[in-house]
Amino acid sequence: MDRLRAQLRAFLLRLANTVAPGSGSRDFDAELEAHIALDTERGMQRGLTVAEARRQALVHFGGAESARQFYRNRSTLPWLEIFMRDLRTCFRTLTRHWVASLVAILSIALGIGANATIFAMVSRFVLKPPAVGNPSTLLALHTAPPGERCCNSFSLPLYTDLGARAKSFSGMAAYFDFFAASIGNNGTPERVWGQGVTPNFFSVAEMSMVAGRGFIPSEQRAPVVVLGETLWRSSFHADPALIGRPIQLSGRTFTVVGVAPAAFHGIDQILNAQFWIPLDTMVSMTPDAQSPTERNAHWLQVIARLRPGVTSQQAAAELQTLAGRMSDTFADGEKTSSFVFDQAGSLPPRARTMVRVFLAALMTVVLLVLAIAGANVANLLFAQAVARQREMAVRLSLGATRASLRRLVLLESLLLSLAGGVLGVLLALAATRGLASFHFPAPVPLELSLTLDSRVLLFSFLASVVCGMLLGMGPAWAASHPRLARALKGEDALAAPGRRVNLRSVLVVAQIAMAVILLSMTGLFLRSLQSAARIDIGFESRGLMLLSVDPRLNGYTPQRTLAFLQQLRDRAAALPSVSQAAITDVLPLSGGHRSDGFSAVGSPEQTVGSADLYVASPGYFHALGIPILAGHDFSNEPPDAPPVAVVSREFAQRMFPNSNPIGRHIKGPQSDFEIIGVVGDIKSRTLGEETRPVLFRSLAQTIARDPSAAGYTLVVHVNGNPASFGEPLRRIVVTLDPSIAIFNQESMEQHLRSAFFLPRLSATLFGVMGFIGLVLASSGLFGVMNYAVGRRTREIGIRMALGAQAAALRRMVLRQGVRLAVIAIVLGWPAAWFLAKLASGYLYGVEPHDLLTFAAVPPLLVFIALAACWLPARRAASVDPMQTLRTD
Amino acid sequence: MGGKTDVWQGTLALMVLRTLESMGPQHGYGLARRIEQTSGGRLELNYGTLYPALLKLEQEGYIRSAWGVSDNNRKAKFYELTKAGAKQARKAVAEWEQATEILARFLAPAEEA
Repeated sequence: MDRLRAQLRAFLLRLANTVAPGSGSRDFDAELEAHIALDTERGMQRGLTVAEARRQALVHFGGAESARQFYRNRSTLPWLEIFMRDLRTCFRTLTRHWVASLVAILSIALGIGANATIFAMVSRFVLKPPAVGNPSTLLALHTAPPGERCCNSFSLPLYTDLGARAKSFSGMAAYFDFFAASIGNNGTPERVWGQGVTPNFFSVAEMSMVAGRGFIPSEQRAPVVVLGETLWRSSFHADPALIGRPIQLSGRTFTVVGVAPAAFHGIDQILNAQFWIPLDTMVSMTPDAQSPTERNAHWLQVIARLRPGVTSQQAAAELQTLAGRMSDTFADGEKTSSFVFDQAGSLPPRARTMVRVFLAALMTVVLLVLAIAGANVANLLFAQAVARQREMAVRLSLGATRASLRRLVLLESLLLSLAGGVLGVLLALAATRGLASFHFPAPVPLELSLTLDSRVLLFSFLASVVCGMLLGMGPAWAASHPRLARALKGEDALAAPGRRVNLRSVLVVAQIAMAVILLSMTGLFLRSLQSAARIDIGFESRGLMLLSVDPRLNGYTPQRTLAFLQQLRDRAAALPSVSQAAITDVLPLSGGHRSDGFSAVGSPEQTVGSADLYVASPGYFHALGIPILAGHDFSNEPPDAPPVAVVSREFAQRMFPNSNPIGRHIKGPQSDFEIIGVVGDIKSRTLGEETRPVLFRSLAQTIARDPSAAGYTLVVHVNGNPASFGEPLRRIVVTLDPSIAIFNQESMEQHLRSAFFLPRLSATLFGVMGFIGLVLASSGLFGVMNYAVGRRTREIGIRMALGAQAAALRRMVLRQGVRLAVIAIVLGWPAAWFLAKLASGYLYGVEPHDLLTFAAVPPLLVFIALAACWLPARRAASVDPMQTLRTD
Repeated sequence: MGGKTDVWQGTLALMVLRTLESMGPQHGYGLARRIEQTSGGRLELNYGTLYPALLKLEQEGYIRSAWGVSDNNRKAKFYELTKAGAKQARKAVAEWEQATEILARFLAPAEEA
């Protein structure tokens, strides 16, 4: 311990002395002088002359210079000194060639920036653990239906039984994902989404609360609520005294018991839940919901905390055994179900593969960009290494070691790439902000914000370091092995005479080949965006204003809800310039909706496996411009009359291919319907889907029997700018009931913009990457050609002196540049062709081997290659033969 | 045989500490002389390594130095043992004694065989 402290003390003193040298060496000179003087005196005492005594003293002492060196080495940290000296040298070199350094830094910054941005997505959606205590031992459990690998939710009995039997877990909690409520605290009521959780939820999650506590076992049915920090701040001014006080939730009084940290917005990290109430309390607030204790009602998500010392393999083995033993607990027809689990907070199982493939594709693309940037910088560094052959040869001749030269060059490339990395992180910061403007289409609020967290920063740092090392290695070797004789004469000592292929050309070819791949991908995604814009969605996108409410959240009975919605519709229709007003539950292209299977009454073999379910009031089809092909529209059917439905053409054709569907009856899981009308097909879930069968039910007939969980949307068709109708519509709602929360107030065009999320996002990302790649590759080609011309000035001068025409020389340079580009295209095109197949899942209405894209990219690149070679070619043609022949 | 021996690696620090312990504050030259005398003239110090060794001990906090005036009125740098240095000296002595005792068993003539 003492020894360690002593060594640390010595190290710090030496460090301080290295950074800020004191008067140590002058001090030591004085000490040496005193030593010699004392020894001289002693010699004189022995009777020697002054001169002889001093001579003997000096001899006795030995080499004063080496003593000084020893002393210096001990008083500072020599390696640090050497490093700092190297650093200064590098800095000088880099600032002297500041244009080249700047280009290198910018290239790397673009590469690292692109990588950091995409890695921020990977970090956010794949790597980030949820904001719970000890995320590594918290598991998310699912059931796997027979014969499937994944995944379904739990029924309440299944959860209860499993929780009672499983021994691998110290706790198991269940929650229901999404439950809407209106919070009307100060003035404007607001609809917020929360979750219903079992009382042990927060203790199983081991969450540390911002204020207050989680639920306790006795609060199973109590009107208590835990607020999310964000909601607490926005609606309650972060008031710490709120704990223990009542607030209004959908017209009922709840006591606030705690505030959960802002980082926590649900276990799965994508949903944006802002409050939590006990599960049974939630069930009591939704009396019309399916019976919660049904065995075939799969509605609960389950988390479980591994008991200390139990591995996840042991837990998996136990769950497998239990699944076999618990067959009585599964619903009929699911007897052979099993349990699966993954880390709590991982991507939802159904979305996982798609998101991972998408991220992997993006990561590949940005690594390509980085590789192109790296090739650019490697070329620059090589050019510099060649230009500095003479300097290196001189240094070597003067006694520098090859290792020290290598160290210098490596340090330079490291400095460049670290600077590029810092700039790249700044670029990524701007890029992640820009990405926030893309709104993902979903019926419920999602939390998808990206941040540059510590993982992203570490990744960027490592990428920069690896980049710097790789880029510096070649030039470092080249610089430390100059052919001395040639280099000292000022000739190009790297270009081995007679070699036709050089490394620089190989790098450029690789660069352009990668640009071919990038550009082809970019072209595909741009074409995909173009064709997505042409997709016939089947309904009107202009002149429509939307506004959503959910009166049930305010405790409205079905009758009152219906009356409210009818009044809302009538008053909106009475506004000037409004041509049509209608009510639905959820608009098409909201990213997914309820679907059910149907069969024809009387002939059960005629089925539609899965039809999307919507609700419509009279006038809905007219307002949205959906044509009524047969039969008629809804017309305020009595709520308790036999249910009627309007189906889409796709539905009608699948169910009744050769007969008139009007008047036929169909059987759904909850009730039978009589088909009263057939309307045109619409895009229901996503733009890219194959046409799906759709079934519309009557608004009046569903409000009591099967109310919408997502509220109701007023659709108003206007003559004029729809946005200007936002305020009048809002006022109608406030007049009807000021405590009703309004949400999703937007025009249909705004709504559709988020439906274009995926094509827009991919086209933007690939567009930006393709552009960066193109700029980098063409600047690389320019650099190489320009350099080649510069190197061959003398040769060109001789050719001119011998009678070569300027035009012929220009052609020669252009030909060489284009040859490189053509080789690159020949190599890159097949790779792009192959990769395009992998991207096909993300393209809309475009073949992966889209002719236009694959035909347009090669000529475009040749054209760009010509442009990049143009200046060097002109330079070659303007060489003055007399001048070049006179130099040297 | 009988020639002068170089100072073994690592023993110089101990000699310095012990010398300062017995003599009190001393300048570099005096220390060197004293160490040579103590060895009965059998050790030859390399002064080039003495001063870095002193610097190291000082950096480690075992000795401290200050400029002063020698017996014959010459300005010289004097070294003095610190508390930590005295403790370190005792520890090092114990370690060396143990080491030499062990070694002695190997060097003793093999009688018991």
